[in-house]
Amino acid sequence: MAARPVSLNASGPVHPSGSGTDAIVRRRPDPWLAPPPGPLGRRLRRLWPTDRFRSWVIARVRRRRDSIRPPHVLGYRQVFILPTMFGAGFALMLVFTALGGLNFNNNLALLLVFVLGALAQATTLLAYRDLAGLEVVAVRVDPVFAGEPAHLHLDLRNPEDRHRFAVEGALATDRSGDCLDLAPSGAGSLALSLPTRQRGWLELPPLRLQTRYPLGLFRAWAWVFPETRCLVYPRPAQDPPPLPQTGAGRTGQARRGEGDQVYGLRNYRAGDPLKHIAWRTSARHDQLYTRQMEAPREANCVLDFRRLDGLDTERRLSVLAAWVLMAEHRALSWSLELPGLTVPAATGPAHRAACLEALALFEG
Amino acid sequence: MKTLRHNPMAWVIGTLLVALLPQLASMPAHLVAITLAPIAWRGAAEIRGWRPLPTWLRLGVTLATLVVLVGTYGNLLGRRAAVGLLSLMLALKLLETFRARDARIVASLSLFLCATQFLFTQGLVMVAYGAACTVGALVALALIARREAFAVSARPAPPGRGVLGELGFGARLAALAVPLALALFLFFPRWGSPLWGVPERSLDAKSGLSDSMAPGTIQSLFMDDSPAFRAIFDGDLPRRQDLYWRGPVLWEFDGRQWETSWMGRNHQAERLPDPESAPYRYEVQLEPHERHWLFALDYPAVIPPEANRLSLDYQLLTRRGVTRLTAYEMVSDPGFIDSPTLRNTLRGMALALPDDFNPRTREMMERWRAETDNDATLVRRVLEHFNQEDFRYTLNPPLLSRHTVDEFLFETRAGFCEHYASTFAVMMRMAGIPSRVVTGYQGGWYNELGNYVLVRQSDAHAWAEVWLPGTGWTRIDPTAAVAPSRVERGALDALDARRYLFDYEWLRNVRNAFDWVNRGWNDWVIAFDARRQSGLLGFMGIGRLGTRGLVALLGLSMLVAGALVVPWLWRLGRDRERDPVVRQWRRFLARLRKAGAPVTVAMGPLEVAHAAAGHPGLDPVRVSRITQSYMNLRYASRVEDREILLRELKRFRTRSET
Repeated sequence: MAARPVSLNASGPVHPSGSGTDAIVRRRPDPWLAPPPGPLGRRLRRLWPTDRFRSWVIARVRRRRDSIRPPHVLGYRQVFILPTMFGAGFALMLVFTALGGLNFNNNLALLLVFVLGALAQATTLLAYRDLAGLEVVAVRVDPVFAGEPAHLHLDLRNPEDRHRFAVEGALATDRSGDCLDLAPSGAGSLALSLPTRQRGWLELPPLRLQTRYPLGLFRAWAWVFPETRCLVYPRPAQDPPPLPQTGAGRTGQARRGEGDQVYGLRNYRAGDPLKHIAWRTSARHDQLYTRQMEAPREANCVLDFRRLDGLDTERRLSVLAAWVLMAEHRALSWSLELPGLTVPAATGPAHRAACLEALALFEG
Repeated sequence: MKTLRHNPMAWVIGTLLVALLPQLASMPAHLVAITLAPIAWRGAAEIRGWRPLPTWLRLGVTLATLVVLVGTYGNLLGRRAAVGLLSLMLALKLLETFRARDARIVASLSLFLCATQFLFTQGLVMVAYGAACTVGALVALALIARREAFAVSARPAPPGRGVLGELGFGARLAALAVPLALALFLFFPRWGSPLWGVPERSLDAKSGLSDSMAPGTIQSLFMDDSPAFRAIFDGDLPRRQDLYWRGPVLWEFDGRQWETSWMGRNHQAERLPDPESAPYRYEVQLEPHERHWLFALDYPAVIPPEANRLSLDYQLLTRRGVTRLTAYEMVSDPGFIDSPTLRNTLRGMALALPDDFNPRTREMMERWRAETDNDATLVRRVLEHFNQEDFRYTLNPPLLSRHTVDEFLFETRAGFCEHYASTFAVMMRMAGIPSRVVTGYQGGWYNELGNYVLVRQSDAHAWAEVWLPGTGWTRIDPTAAVAPSRVERGALDALDARRYLFDYEWLRNVRNAFDWVNRGWNDWVIAFDARRQSGLLGFMGIGRLGTRGLVALLGLSMLVAGALVVPWLWRLGRDRERDPVVRQWRRFLARLRKAGAPVTVAMGPLEVAHAAAGHPGLDPVRVSRITQSYMNLRYASRVEDREILLRELKRFRTRSET
């Protein structure tokens, strides 16, 4: 069990921040990357306290430098750099070559080692410079239904007139990542996804901006602690009971063209269904007439928390969320009644968002 | 093809191929084929999109090739065999290289392979080779890292810098590393003596003189133009006739082959010439030849520290084979008399001949001996015989069978220096005059640019020495009697035929003239060791530093080198704008920003004018003049405004600056 890397004690019900390795549907991994660890690898990884170490580091960084919140320009004290595994291996190779070169007094081999070593040294500066001075403009995230991945957008801006290559974004708790190049004085946005499980406010885990530019010998990174929270709606119920219809429908404007109530006649047009032809009237006038039909509007259905007896709160919220979606789909006007809160009847995306937010944040 | 250029695998394969080049050139053909096959498969797999081979097949192929390798080299202990193993394993590694991790391993081990090649030769060509490997590996690593970074993202990787850009970037990065590398090279503490031994016979089967001589030995050297050594003279050059570089001295003849003797090798010379009065002072830079001889002009007057002993027959011998470029100071006295008296054991050795060989010569020499008592007269008679009869100096002599001397003297009459030296020595012994064969080098090419004498393997020569009362061991060069130009101008001039296509004199001269570059390279780079390092420090006025002081100096010099490099690094990757207007415009914007006006690069001239308006630190007239002419130039195509704009931009200063 991976340790919980961050403590998320914000207001509202918050799901315990993900151990992160499940609950999200991944893309098929690129064959160029290392394969996911097998059973033995996973066991070994558990022995190695990366996650615990990392959460410790994050906690420290967060305590010490709570200023890394967007919008923010990354300063030199906020960019860390360490060799990658490959960098360590490369260094080992250089050491062996240097030993051989020293022993045989082989100056060309030594020269090669020195050039490569100096070069590796220079790449630390390049990697660092790839991040330092980068402006983190904002972290955006749209509300999402529990169980679906939340999509984060990390907006970056390059204030300097040079390229920044291969800037990667990653979550502290998840392997999801994204990468982009920033043109001189350009801007871009990294898209990350975060698994969600519970409704409510989801505090975003720390984000890592990192780069292994240019050679992959070193990884430079900086932590970003977004203050943005992600609103997670209740998961809509899979097969909800039918939408409660009040039947008090004559108030709204009827929908023409279907239904079973006649509201007028008109001349027959080719293609009208036979059953809609007003035979009696047609016989009377020697001309075919078609009955025009309409369905009464079942407007103003009331989605009432209290009417869902026999279900627990989360289940009720789930059903209500599903109803909200159904009502919007059918272009109905609906009102939402929760204990202590009533959203008056209306339609449209804003109304939907208000209702779902009320459901997400319901405490009862 | 375009995608292939941006493909990291293509670069990994290319880098490996370049790194393999010298190794391939020195491997037997079947091993070359085995090494190239997996590389070819991997290249095809990349183009055709093949899947990796199954594990059992890869394992089988690896085992089979190992068997072939061991079968070829016998064991894997030799240096060539070990490097061959490395090359083969790297090539086979490509079979399973489909991921970033493996690709990186191959790219970095290609660099290691490149370093192992320097064990065999460190000539200037290898610098180009090392540079090619380095830049190739850098581009490969950069492309691998880029592809890996973008593999996690949903969007396709943008083209980035492009391959040409990566190449330029790799080259610039490598060039930037040079000052730092130089500091490391000069001040990194060197080991005075190796921690573990250098195996003998570790170089490739290098041609050079050996401790035996049969017909054809020196002739094979004659095709080889690689440098044997260089001699840098203090003061005057020796006369051409004195340029006999003494190598192995051969005493023992078995009818076909001459060999050195145990006694000659292991007994010390009894006396040395007086170094004070010796006329020739010089330094020899000897290329590694894995044998024990150091070469010197007749007769060496000092024993340099690099040598272990000066033998009875005045060979300079080292304890271990010369496996690296070795420089030593020498003093030689050509007027020295070697052995005024000859001990009986030595006289016996110098007269020994196998029985039942060369009866016709023996009969002739007995006849001639009867005609004169004087050894010197007899020597002169034999030389005259060579000179006046129809003897030829040729590179392609007919083959000789059992009675080599008889056949040469009476039938073929065509040969190379070794035929003449051998025949002459045998004739002397038959006449009762002590004689031996000396091999070494004769002549050399004087390089005026570098003021030194370059001696190539093709200058290898064999001559004879006879012991005469009064003059001791006396050098007789019978080849000179046949082809005097051999001694005066060198073997290449003495022959009419070209040795190979493109063997022209002017080409040889060009090559000889350019050799001073190699010499400098040898001098400054290859021969740099602990001794030279302390010499350099002494030259800088720092004596006796010790390792700790050296490390401190290294740190200091790296700081200096870093201070040189870092500003360049900082500017790396910035767009170099070619249009001077844009350059100056950006500078102008930067000035405005510094003065406090809220302008950005993305703003158009109107916005800039607006943002700068009313700012106390700026002259509004000048700013508006600039923005106006910028607009005229850019949007109204008024080309004549370009000059005005440039002038104004260059002259523009904020008020705090003026």
